[in-house]
Amino acid sequence: MPVADDKKQIKEEDIAKKESTLKEEGTSKAKTFHLLLLPIVGVVVVAVALLLQHLGNPANMGFCIACFLRDTAGAVGLHSAAVVQYVRPEIIGIILGVFIFALVRGEFKPKGGSAPVTRFVLGFAMMMGALIFLGCPLRMLLRIAAGDLNAIVGLFGLVAGIFIGALFLKRGFSLKRNYDQGKAEGSLLPVIALILLGIVLFAPVILLVSAEGPGSMHAPLLIALAAGLIVGALGFITRLCFTGGIRDAILMKKFPPMLWAFIAILVVGLIGNLVLGTFNLGFADQPITHTDGLWNFLGMTLVGLSATLLAGCPFRQLVLAGSGNSDSVMAVAGMVVGAAFMHNFNMASSPAGIGENAIYGFVIVAAIVVGIAVYNTFFRSK
Amino acid sequence: MRNQWVKREAFKERSMNNYIATFYSHFGALSLCKELQQREGAANTAELIPVPRELSTSCGVCVSFQGDDWVCAKDVAIDLEGIYRVAGGRYEELFTA
Repeated sequence: MPVADDKKQIKEEDIAKKESTLKEEGTSKAKTFHLLLLPIVGVVVVAVALLLQHLGNPANMGFCIACFLRDTAGAVGLHSAAVVQYVRPEIIGIILGVFIFALVRGEFKPKGGSAPVTRFVLGFAMMMGALIFLGCPLRMLLRIAAGDLNAIVGLFGLVAGIFIGALFLKRGFSLKRNYDQGKAEGSLLPVIALILLGIVLFAPVILLVSAEGPGSMHAPLLIALAAGLIVGALGFITRLCFTGGIRDAILMKKFPPMLWAFIAILVVGLIGNLVLGTFNLGFADQPITHTDGLWNFLGMTLVGLSATLLAGCPFRQLVLAGSGNSDSVMAVAGMVVGAAFMHNFNMASSPAGIGENAIYGFVIVAAIVVGIAVYNTFFRSK
Repeated sequence: MRNQWVKREAFKERSMNNYIATFYSHFGALSLCKELQQREGAANTAELIPVPRELSTSCGVCVSFQGDDWVCAKDVAIDLEGIYRVAGGRYEELFTA
């Protein structure tokens, strides 16, 4: 018997070995590609962010998709918060960078039709969470790298939100399938971005520009535009998503390659801030933040949950929108309108703390998001 | 005995295929992965991996599995987007929804 057992064991071991080599063959190429590329992209993103900040962007806001969409919404008069109005060329750059890159690579395949209104509302909720915390997940990482401990509270909130979202995903959450769309449908957002760029270049007087505050602080236009083009194209190649990595870690129960990009951003950002002398450890006196721990946590929880249900953080939504995904265009539209509502109804946070009406808005929107999650998990027709 | 087994395994290796199944929902991927892991034969070969870039540009997961019967996987899967055979780093489309 022991001999037979031994043989059986050898056999099992051999099978396991063969199977693992087979498995390796299929995915090793993709794995090496991602393992090398993701940290490099992380380094590039953080380097670009530090450069933009050095050249004039607000502190710890070298790159922040939520803040930049909010500023852009203000510049076209969707809200009247005078300190945050400026068409951020980074946003235009990301959309056009992704669009051009997708066209060149033959990967421009417009898709859409998966619960557009739900995605609009989730985009709205994502912006609400981001403006309560004061930053999207990318800015959260940049804030942590600069020693802002409030952002660590936000990170815990983000992970909590993604965890709640993952629970729904595991139990069947789906916004239903998307469908192929025409090239015109996918090209509209890049055309709008191009028109906005034309206005910025040739008729800037019709746009609102902050005279003071974060909206008045910006890097030179062409550099910011180029930064957007580069970061957008890189985001498209690597599918960089600041919530997807954490979601995959929860769902797959292993370390996803995406997290290497996060680590690269944190480490290089930390070194960069130390070198540039912008590192300041602590909770108090951090630029364009507030110290209300509960709302830093809850704001990011809402972002994490909404982003997980949307299958992508604000940055990922913008990149997908540029690549012709009309569902993500809806999410971005929701974010722009959300930003306007946040400032028009005094719900957005400021360094003084959270907005006067933030609590009411948060309760209503969070209830709607949970409702969307519950309905599309337990009551959707399969 | 052992030589025979090695031969048989070598044959199996040639006939076994690597597949990738992509989905519209995470739930679909999780369900198929669980289902395949529970079945004998496909045990330990099914796993959740990030969708290879060549297949889709959306931010998602897919199931990688081996076997000689992808149709069976197709029949049990829900929210299935497509099934591909992986050969020499290339993806051969077998099914798309």
